[in-house]
Amino acid sequence: MTFFWQDPQFGDKMITLMAAVVLVLQILMVAQRWLVTNIRAFGVQSFLLASIAFTIAYFNHAPHIYIVAALTLVFKAILLPVVLERLVMKLEIRQEIEPFVNVPISVIVSGLLTLLAYVVAESFYRPAEATVPASLGHNTLAVAIALFLIGFFMMVNRRKALAQVLGLLCLENGLFLAAISLTYGMPLLVELGILFDLLVAVLVLGILVYRIQETFDSMDVSKLSRLRG
Amino acid sequence: MMLLFILAIPLAAGALSFAARKRPAMEAINLSAFAVLFLLAAALAARVLQRGSLAVWNGFLRADALSALVVLLTALVGLICSVYAVGYFRDDERNRVFEEDVLGAVTISKLRKYYALTPLFVFSMLLVALADNLGVMWVAVEATTLISVFLVTFYGRATSLEAAWKYAIIGGVGLSMALLGTILTYYSAHNILGTETLAGLNWSVLAAQASQFDKTTMKLAFILILLGYGTKAGVAPMHTWKPDAYSEAPVPAAAILSTATLNCALYGLVRFYILASRCLGADYPGRLLLLFGVLSMGISVPFVLIQRNFRRLLAYHTIDHAGIMVTALGIGGPLGALGFTLHMTFHTVAKSLLFLCAGTVYQHFRTDLFRKIKSGVIRVLPFAGTVFLMATLAIVGTPPFSLFQSEFLILRAAFAAHHYVSAVLFVLFGAGIFAGAVLHIGNLVLGPAEARPLARWYPWRDSAVLVSTALLVIMGFWLPGPVFGLIQDAARIVAGGP
Repeated sequence: MTFFWQDPQFGDKMITLMAAVVLVLQILMVAQRWLVTNIRAFGVQSFLLASIAFTIAYFNHAPHIYIVAALTLVFKAILLPVVLERLVMKLEIRQEIEPFVNVPISVIVSGLLTLLAYVVAESFYRPAEATVPASLGHNTLAVAIALFLIGFFMMVNRRKALAQVLGLLCLENGLFLAAISLTYGMPLLVELGILFDLLVAVLVLGILVYRIQETFDSMDVSKLSRLRG
Repeated sequence: MMLLFILAIPLAAGALSFAARKRPAMEAINLSAFAVLFLLAAALAARVLQRGSLAVWNGFLRADALSALVVLLTALVGLICSVYAVGYFRDDERNRVFEEDVLGAVTISKLRKYYALTPLFVFSMLLVALADNLGVMWVAVEATTLISVFLVTFYGRATSLEAAWKYAIIGGVGLSMALLGTILTYYSAHNILGTETLAGLNWSVLAAQASQFDKTTMKLAFILILLGYGTKAGVAPMHTWKPDAYSEAPVPAAAILSTATLNCALYGLVRFYILASRCLGADYPGRLLLLFGVLSMGISVPFVLIQRNFRRLLAYHTIDHAGIMVTALGIGGPLGALGFTLHMTFHTVAKSLLFLCAGTVYQHFRTDLFRKIKSGVIRVLPFAGTVFLMATLAIVGTPPFSLFQSEFLILRAAFAAHHYVSAVLFVLFGAGIFAGAVLHIGNLVLGPAEARPLARWYPWRDSAVLVSTALLVIMGFWLPGPVFGLIQDAARIVAGGP
C-alpha cells in the first residue's frame, strides 16, 4: 500500500500546481502598480520555487537539491525582498511603477508570451527518452520559459531603475525553474556560484539605484540619455 | 600548482591593496603582482606548449593552448596597464580630478578602489580561461561584469552612472541568456552523461561526447550562448553599452575592458562553438556567427565616421574588431581559426596601446572631444601623438603592421570557404573604418598647433606606451617561434582538433 506522499504522481501534480501559481504571480506583477507589492509577490514566487525544489528533491531522492532549495528559501524568498523593501523605504520614492505600455495591454502581452513559451517547450518534449519524470519536463519548462520572457518584457517596459531590477530577478527565477525542471538543477557548486552572483548583482544594482536616485533626484532611467553616438 | 598560483596572485594582490593605507604601497603591490603574474603566464604557456594540457583538482582547473593564450594576453595587458596606471592616477591626483578634500581621504579611497578592484577583475578573467566547468566559467564571466561596474562608476559623474547602469543591466540580461544556454547544453548532454555530477558540465568531458548530444536543444542553446556571450563581447546589436562604458571608465581600466575582457567573452563563445560544431556540424553555428560578425562590423562604420569623441571612436573600433573575430570564427576551418587566434593576439597588443595613447592625450588636454583639442597633438605631445597615429594605422590594418596579416588571412579564409558576400562586406566595412579612423585621428594628431608648451616626458605612462609600441612594431615583422606555436595550437583547438 502506498500513501499519497509516496506516490510520484502526486508529486508531479503538486509541482504543476505550484508552477501554475508561480505563473499567476508573475502576471500579477505585470498587472499591478505598486513597487512594494511587486517585491512581495517576488518573495512569494521565490518561496514557491523553493517548494518545487523541495518536492523534486523528496520524490526523486536527490539530496543536493535540498541544499539548493534551502538556500533559495533563505536568500531569494526572505533576504532579497527584505533588502529591496528597505531600499524602497530608504529612498522614500514614489511607489508607482509607471510602465511604458499600459496595464491591460501589458497583461495581454504577457499572455501571448506564455503562449509562445508553451510552443517552445513543446519542441523539447520527448517523453520517450526523458530520464527525468515526464510531466516535470513539460508544464514546468513552459512556465520557466514564460517567466524568462515576461521578465524580459518587464525590464523593457519599466522606466524606474528598481522596477527593472525586479524584472531581472524574475528572469533569473525563470532560469532557476528551467534548470531544476530540466536536469534536477545544475551541479551543486554551480548553483552556489549562480546564487552568489545573483546576490552580488542585486547589491551592485542596489548601490547604483541609490546613487542614481541621489544624483538625478529620480529613478526614471529613461532620463539617463546624455551619452549618445 | 602553477594554475593555482596564477589565480592566487591577483586575488592576494586585491586583498592587500584593499588593506593598504598609502598610495606607494598599493602601486608596489599591483606592479609586483602583475609582473609575477606575467612571468607565470609565460611559464604556463611554455608548459602547455610542451605537454598539451594540464589540470588540477580533478580537472576543476584546466589549461590547454587556447586558455594559455588568453591567460598570457590578459597578463600582458594587466602588466602594461598597471605600469600606466601609476602615472595616470598620479596625474589625476595632481590635477585634483577627485572631489575637493583637505585630508586626501577621498583620493586614497578612490585609488584603493582602482588598485583593489583591478586585480580582482583580472582574477575573474583568468578564472574564465582556466575553469573547465562551463557553469563556473559563467559565474566568472558574470563576476567580471559585477567588478568592472565599479570601475565604470569610478569618477562618480552623472554620465558614469548612466554608463554603469546600461552596462550592468544589458550585461545582466545578456548573461542570463548565456546561463539559459549553459543549462540547455547541460540538458542536451545529460541523457548521455547522467546528472548530478560536477564533471557533467566540464568542457573536456562534454567535448569528447558532443556528437551524441540532442540536436534540437543544442541549436537553441547555441543561439542563446551567442546572444549572451555576444552581449559581453559587444557584438551588434547588443553593443550599445560599450562606447559608454569605455569612455567613462579610467583609461587603464578601459584598456583592459576592451582587450582582455573581450577576449574572455569570445573565449566563452569559442568553447560552445566547438561543442556546437561537433554536435551539429560547423555550418549551423558558422552561419549564425557570420551574420552577427558582419553586422557588428557594418554597424560600427557610420559611428566611426561621424564620431566626435576619440574614446568613443576607439570603443566603436573595438565593436568592429569583435565583429572581425566573430566573422573569422564563423568562416571556420583551420584558416579561419588561425585568423581568429592571430587577430585576437594582435588586437590585444594594438588596442590596449591605442587606449593608453588616447589616455595620455585626454589627460594632457583634459577633454576627449575632437572639437576642443582642434589639432596638432603631435607638436605638444610628440611621443604619444606619433604612437597614437601609428597605432591607429596599425589597427585599421595598414600593411607593415601585424593586423594586416591576420585580417588578410581571414579574408583568404572567407574566399577559400566560398563566403563571397561576407568577404566583400568585410573589405567594404574595413575600408569605411579605415577612412573614419585615419581621418579623425590624423586630423587630431597632425596639423597646426596652438601655442602650447611642449609636454615633458611622463615616466610611467610613456614607458608603458614605449614597451607596448615596441611589441607592436616587432610583431609586424617577427613573431617568436614559441608564441606562434601557441597561437597555432590554440587555432587547432578552435578548429575542433583534439
